[in-house]
Amino acid sequence: MKILKSWLNDWIDLEAISTDDISEALESLGFEIESRTDKTPNYKNITVGKVLEIYEHPNADKVRVTKVDVGSKTYEIVCGAWNFDVGAVVPVALPKSEIKDGFKIDKRDIRGVESNGMICSASELDLWDDHAGILKLSDETKLGSDFSKIYNSTDTLWEIGVTPNRGDCMSHLGIARELSNYFNLTLKENSQSLKSNIESVIKVNSGKIKACNSYQSIEIENFTLSDSNLNIRYRLSSIGVRVINNVVDYTNYVLHDIGQPLHAFDRDKLFGTISVRFAKDKENLKTLDEQERKLTSEDLIITDNDKPIALAGVMGGYDTEVTDTTTNLLIESAYFDKVSIMKTSRRLNLISDASIRFERGIDFNLQKQGLQRFVNLFENDQEINYSSIIDSSKNGISYDSISFDKNEIEQILGVKLDDNFIRNTLIKLQIESEVSDKKIKFESPSWRYDLERPIDLIEELAKHYGFNNFESTLPIGNNLNSTGDYWDKRIYLSDKLSSTNFYEIQTLSFTDSLSNELFTPEKKSVSVINPIDQTQENLRTNLLTSLINTYKFNLESNGKSHRYYEINNVYDDSKHKKFKMIPNQEYSLGLLIPENEAVEDRKGKTKTNNINTLANVIKNLFPSSELEHLTRPGFHKNYSYLIKLDNKILGFMGKLSYKIQSELELHDSLYIAQINTENFNFDQLKAFTYKPLSAYPFIKFDLSFSVSNDFQASDLINCIESILSDNENNISIFDNFTNEKTRNLGIRIVTRSYEKTYTETESTEILEMIVKEAESKFKIKLNKKDENAT
Amino acid sequence: MPELNFDKVLASLKLRLDEVVDESEFDEILKEYTGKDSLLSVERKNLSNLSNEDKKVYGETLNNVNKSIVTNIKKAKEEFINNKYASLEDEENDDITIDWITNTGTHRHILSQVMDEVVNIFASIGYKVAYGPEVETSWHNFDALNTPDWHPARYESDTLYTDNDLETLLRTQTSTVQIRHMEENDPPVYIVAPGRVFRSDQLDATHSPVFHQLEGLAVDKNLKFTDLKGTLEYFVKQFFGEDIETKFIPHFFPFTEPSAEVLVKWKNGEWLEILGCGMVDPNVLNHVGYSDEYQGFAWGVGIERLAMLKYQVDHIKNFYDNDLRFLEQF
Repeated sequence: MKILKSWLNDWIDLEAISTDDISEALESLGFEIESRTDKTPNYKNITVGKVLEIYEHPNADKVRVTKVDVGSKTYEIVCGAWNFDVGAVVPVALPKSEIKDGFKIDKRDIRGVESNGMICSASELDLWDDHAGILKLSDETKLGSDFSKIYNSTDTLWEIGVTPNRGDCMSHLGIARELSNYFNLTLKENSQSLKSNIESVIKVNSGKIKACNSYQSIEIENFTLSDSNLNIRYRLSSIGVRVINNVVDYTNYVLHDIGQPLHAFDRDKLFGTISVRFAKDKENLKTLDEQERKLTSEDLIITDNDKPIALAGVMGGYDTEVTDTTTNLLIESAYFDKVSIMKTSRRLNLISDASIRFERGIDFNLQKQGLQRFVNLFENDQEINYSSIIDSSKNGISYDSISFDKNEIEQILGVKLDDNFIRNTLIKLQIESEVSDKKIKFESPSWRYDLERPIDLIEELAKHYGFNNFESTLPIGNNLNSTGDYWDKRIYLSDKLSSTNFYEIQTLSFTDSLSNELFTPEKKSVSVINPIDQTQENLRTNLLTSLINTYKFNLESNGKSHRYYEINNVYDDSKHKKFKMIPNQEYSLGLLIPENEAVEDRKGKTKTNNINTLANVIKNLFPSSELEHLTRPGFHKNYSYLIKLDNKILGFMGKLSYKIQSELELHDSLYIAQINTENFNFDQLKAFTYKPLSAYPFIKFDLSFSVSNDFQASDLINCIESILSDNENNISIFDNFTNEKTRNLGIRIVTRSYEKTYTETESTEILEMIVKEAESKFKIKLNKKDENAT
Repeated sequence: MPELNFDKVLASLKLRLDEVVDESEFDEILKEYTGKDSLLSVERKNLSNLSNEDKKVYGETLNNVNKSIVTNIKKAKEEFINNKYASLEDEENDDITIDWITNTGTHRHILSQVMDEVVNIFASIGYKVAYGPEVETSWHNFDALNTPDWHPARYESDTLYTDNDLETLLRTQTSTVQIRHMEENDPPVYIVAPGRVFRSDQLDATHSPVFHQLEGLAVDKNLKFTDLKGTLEYFVKQFFGEDIETKFIPHFFPFTEPSAEVLVKWKNGEWLEILGCGMVDPNVLNHVGYSDEYQGFAWGVGIERLAMLKYQVDHIKNFYDNDLRFLEQF
């Protein structure tokens, strides 16, 4: 919402207060300042003149020649605008003056006629954007006077945010009321009472509808449709309201001045009695914007003789609008219920300054004042005849008084507020109250919907006390030992993975249905009924597609083949294990390792990975996990495994199937895994125990066995481990050579006794024992041994 | 008295030392000048032929010569070794800047890093991490948080729903975790809940359908507005640095009262909003059945916003594109 300093000044005297202080006050009261513009005249030496004569230009069609009286002298000026006649009083830029942006005006020859300056439009003087032509001033303006003196040329405009609970602050009056307490100023009274001089013609009956508590109207006869005065046009234009004609301008002005939306009907187009009701299905109304609107039973409408004439609080009807030929008016000032207005406005996507105010709730006692202000403005510009106000209100709204213990203030805020502060604040905010030793009793004013409970008043007091004036204290919570398993798992996995060259990624949770089918066809997707677009219809049932997409994207656009992980939810349509009504959601880890991985050095080497690289990563994350072969959709027939921990399924891993690899046009094979982080706990990870360090030297053998293709190296390692179970051992596979006929497995054994230094004989005995045991147990054959392996 | 020219001996030693090409020669030279067959030894043997007085004088001269020879050789050897390594090191002079500009990132996604940092700050003052489902009931996302039926946030243009009756949705705020946690745990409560939230927005420079928030909640006996202020000021200082200025301005949220926004003064003097907070509305505590003696405060902070401020990231889209050029920087 935009507010003008000069306009606020109508309500409280801000002359002596600096603009910075007002900004600070606004913000401290909860009005976020979106922008502030300090306005100064963007012109120099502009005077006021009256057009005495207009005649054709001898050599040009598009311009006219005028004679303009500026009080002391008359000048001939050529002008290209056509929106004025003889007698118009206008701003004039004579030679040696400046208009917008320092543009200097001088005598100029325009097609053979000497023009002594120019007649100015509002936009040429940088007053506001107006393309209607020359700015017309009041006929009474003194000719030759300094233009900058005839309206507020130095002013400040703020654009502020008003929170949705404060509909009462959607006007200059509302803001001024808040500021009056901050600066300890008195709020002025601006409405003058009316003296009607005609009888009303139209009957009004607001009916029994609850959604319309109050409907008041006034009729105006014999007015002249014209421009409103400069001040009104300046203010409205400055806050971004389009200036149209006096009737429309006055209604808009009242809305921004005190917050009461008004609507003007052409009285001569109304028939019978005006009433308010909900529309019937299939009823239609052509609104002001010439759109034919289909109405529903949720739309509140205004009717005459039962025909819709306006969408209550949202937009008027086209057939009854004020036009150039209108001579008599009926002005509506009503209170409509916010929910009804909101529904209509949203359904039709019609949002107006009026609907925004009704939605937030307007003052239910403001309707009469709204009409008074309108007539006051009109009377100020021209003589009019008007009826008395017809009031068809129900007075159905009232607020109970609320009483609460004063201690509650300190209990919530942590600060004891002084009684005088409380009293003064409530008086300035026009909240009726009694403050006694122990209690506060208050009654919410008609414009405050947000003061229903003691806490609401406490907030109000805190705000006016100033949030930044409160002390700060730091309480310490009750969880000093742990951040909790959910988070600790995330940190555990991330620490291990990022230190082994995985990049963590964050991808969106949405996917199309095909991607879910690819790896997890057994799961039914959760779909969004109002998706952002077709590719984001489903929530992902696995993390694999996002990983592959990221891999592919970076390979193609950055030429880099890296490994990635993501920790986020996957979702499926089965029931949530813990909570009712919602679908299953598993906090999961996804992994991807490419076959050829870029190594981060400047030589640009790559490292070759295989299924064992991934298996090693899994083993590193979950030391006591087991792999169990099971072919899954999307995976290589053999390289597809369940990951189990204590016989519970933790996830799955393997190699991307060649078919999908080829469909995705990937040159490299990919190794991928997904793990449900909810299926393990930290106790399971800490299963291994510390091995003491032997004080004796090691012996080391490299053995090479000829083994069958389906032989599992881990069996051999386990066997050797058990033979040497009294020792400190480090057993590893250093070679796995396969061709069509043979497979050789190279195993390195490093072992130390805890008791002694082995002699050469003992060492040989150990070696022979291992070979003998292995050969007989697995039917494998020793090819080569190296007792002094280095 | 014998008249050996010691100056000549020392001069020849100097010349000899200058010609050394290998470290091992120094030992030979020492032998040559002070060893058994050296001139010096010969002269020493001759000492016995001299008078006692001459013996004393000449003996001292010989000792001095010996000392001088040994010192000269030792010095020359040291110098030779120093020169040798100095010239070795002199030859090695690679361009130090070659690998200077490599990536220093931790490989963790910046959003995760920021979440960790925020979690750690609150963990240090006794908060633990709670979490709740991302696909939620409308009740937990709206009703329980005091958001009425007609509230615009509920419109399908803003919120993504997962069933036709609009009873389940993708949570629009991590505040849902407040409710989930309080339903299952008795007070006192000190939790933070980092996580994903969703809005119906296409991914572009300034919007994302998925983003991250961190919700905080403290409920205990005697928690006051002053405690809320102290807690969040502590957080802001820990996150942005001791010197950062903060201010609290009133705001409105359906589930807190009083509600505030916290602003920090940025380097250019501009005040920027970084989080929303407030005292938990009594209605919310009633919804979860907490007794009147408990009250507390809650806050919510946007993780992307913090990351964008701290690292001057200008496009929210960067976080979700996972372009290595972006990932590598953090």
